[in-house]
Amino acid sequence: MLKTKNKPLKYALLVIVLSVVFTKSVAAGEKIKIVTSLPDLAGIAREIGGKYVTTFAIAKGYQDPHFVDPKPSYMIRLQKADMFIQVGLDLEIGWVPPLLEGARNSKILPGAAGYVDASAGIPLLEVPQGDPAKLRAEGDIHIYGNPHYWLDPLRGKLIAENIYQGLCRVQPQNKTQFENNLSVFRNKIDELTAKLQARLEAYRGVKVIAFHNSWPYFDERFHFDLVGFIEPKPGIPPTPKHLVSVIKSMKQQAIRLMIISPYFSKKTSRLIAAKTGAVLVELAGSVGAQPEIKTYFDLFEFNIDKLIQGMEQAGIVPQNAK
Amino acid sequence: MVYPYQFSVRIFGIIFCLLLNYSITLFAQSKGRQAVSMDSTVVDSTDMLLEAEFARELAAEKKTSTSGLAAGSREIRGLVSRSGSTLNPKISAIGTFLGAATQENAASKPLDIGLQEVEIVFDAYVDPYTKATFIIGFGDEQENPFAGPDEAAAFDGEFSTELEEGYLTTLSLPFSLQLKAGKFLGNFGKINKIHPHAWNFIDQPLMYANYFGEEGLLDRGLSLSWLVPNPVGLYQELTLEATSGAVASPSFTGRKDLLYLIHLKNYVDLNENTTLELGFSGIRSSNDRERHKSHLGAIDLTLRWKPLRRNRYKSFEWMSEALLSRRDTATKTINSTAFYSFLRYQLSRRFFIGGRYDYAEFPDDADTYEKAVSVVLSFFATEFQKLDLQYQYGSPAGRDTFSRILLRSVFIIGAHGAHKY
Repeated sequence: MLKTKNKPLKYALLVIVLSVVFTKSVAAGEKIKIVTSLPDLAGIAREIGGKYVTTFAIAKGYQDPHFVDPKPSYMIRLQKADMFIQVGLDLEIGWVPPLLEGARNSKILPGAAGYVDASAGIPLLEVPQGDPAKLRAEGDIHIYGNPHYWLDPLRGKLIAENIYQGLCRVQPQNKTQFENNLSVFRNKIDELTAKLQARLEAYRGVKVIAFHNSWPYFDERFHFDLVGFIEPKPGIPPTPKHLVSVIKSMKQQAIRLMIISPYFSKKTSRLIAAKTGAVLVELAGSVGAQPEIKTYFDLFEFNIDKLIQGMEQAGIVPQNAK
Repeated sequence: MVYPYQFSVRIFGIIFCLLLNYSITLFAQSKGRQAVSMDSTVVDSTDMLLEAEFARELAAEKKTSTSGLAAGSREIRGLVSRSGSTLNPKISAIGTFLGAATQENAASKPLDIGLQEVEIVFDAYVDPYTKATFIIGFGDEQENPFAGPDEAAAFDGEFSTELEEGYLTTLSLPFSLQLKAGKFLGNFGKINKIHPHAWNFIDQPLMYANYFGEEGLLDRGLSLSWLVPNPVGLYQELTLEATSGAVASPSFTGRKDLLYLIHLKNYVDLNENTTLELGFSGIRSSNDRERHKSHLGAIDLTLRWKPLRRNRYKSFEWMSEALLSRRDTATKTINSTAFYSFLRYQLSRRFFIGGRYDYAEFPDDADTYEKAVSVVLSFFATEFQKLDLQYQYGSPAGRDTFSRILLRSVFIIGAHGAHKY
């Protein structure tokens, strides 16, 4: 009977022995395994890390980044990662903390060399003012500010810099290559932004309504006029009464374009489109939202194409650029 | 059949010391390795020598500089108090309001309404190596038509305060190990670890009520879990727990031996939208003063489907658990069983409908059983508030069948974190 009494001890020893057998150390010449919360961060990390990195994004581009299930399979990815990058500002508060805790990888915990919060140093919009205890009366508000900042390519340069610093911490011997990649990325972004701004210049100030408040940064960069949202408050689905008031104000203000992310139901927006004659445009919230959006640059090309198509379809006449 | 109590304590002590010792050593080694590889690609013997030298120097410094620390600490204290409020742990409060309307002939008051529970959760990193969680509950007695009339106690406005959970979790043990120490809900089956407010039904499944009591398996001790490495990238987590055994559980009424628990969680993504979880649990402890043993074995299966593209609008979940109990007594061995199965479908962005079937015998009586059928409708107003409405038809052991309707509102304020998948 003494044998069964020793069972827990045996199990414990088995755990230790097996873990010694299975664990291998990572050689310095190996690629940096990067896991990111969103595919956009993975896209930028690929530009900066180049051939020295492999990337995996937890959320898919067509998925709502606020509501990702913390599936244990992601913990396995994080367990093996050398670096973890997140958007921060509590965007991923519902799913990243349990994943990081479950991954048992001290290399990527907040404060460690392999942890990158991409929001560091980024100028934010819509930082809520006033009494924090009243914030949730305003719906699902992010206390630090609107977290959809990756939808501005110029802020993307700051994200790239945060990632660059993370890469240098994890693999300092390749610093010069990362630095080169960073400056190439910056130049490409500047060129792209100038090109796309010029394309949209003729539509400057066109009034647009969005389903959810994901687009203030995109709007700020490309100068259309985001006048309102179909959701009465962030995260609160519209009631029929609210929809009536939306339709009224759309008619009053002559809003002919609606934008929506792929992960929202288009039922209500289609209803509004039918009543107002406005055009519904599905923009990509992230890299990978559509199969053709493979890089961070593609994301903006795609969205601007879609936006201009939508404006043409809505019969909005482009103004002659000065 | 009788084991000396001190012997089991000793064994337990040995396991703990062994693990702690071993992991601390390995932890120190792995830290060293990481620090070196950050600065250069080649780790040669001079680095190792230098590292050893630093280790010696630093250890020596610690001893000599204790007198100087007192003078300096005053300044540090000033700094801490200035940033004190930002260093508060994450705090949240969760309220559960419950209303119950039960058929007249049942062993409980026909109409009952009140605040069932308030939970206060504190949660923060202690330092780079550990995290602490404290959950304090203020609970009121509630009607339970399955319990006998003597035990039935209505809401009376008297709240009892209890430390529901309080534990330290390590974050940086090597080899994907994680150690939890304190008072916590045992890692048994699928829902034992989940607090009732996060269940997708209102009442506790009869399986848990009859075998673990109304709080579930809750005990003080240690829990060590390990992510089992495997070539195919399957998620496998093995948990071993050794706890005091002094639990308010009908299965383990001995309170003289430690309670040992083993749990293996297997998880696989069948495709992008569908996941399958299969768990095996086992517990062993004593059920009387003579140290007769009780063994529990359980299996849990959870299938979930949620399309990623529309993950807020549609989902489906099927969760089932079954348990076998073997209880040795002075005169005989009692083998009993219990199970439940729960199915839930998401109707729209905020509405869910579900059904549950319960069957449960008793740990000390395999000849009587209880059954229940429930239908649950849930409305998620926001992430921070939900309403559940449940109809239940119950057949308690040795009493008339009854129908009842339960209505529950759960609301959260503060920084409440995510729930485990």
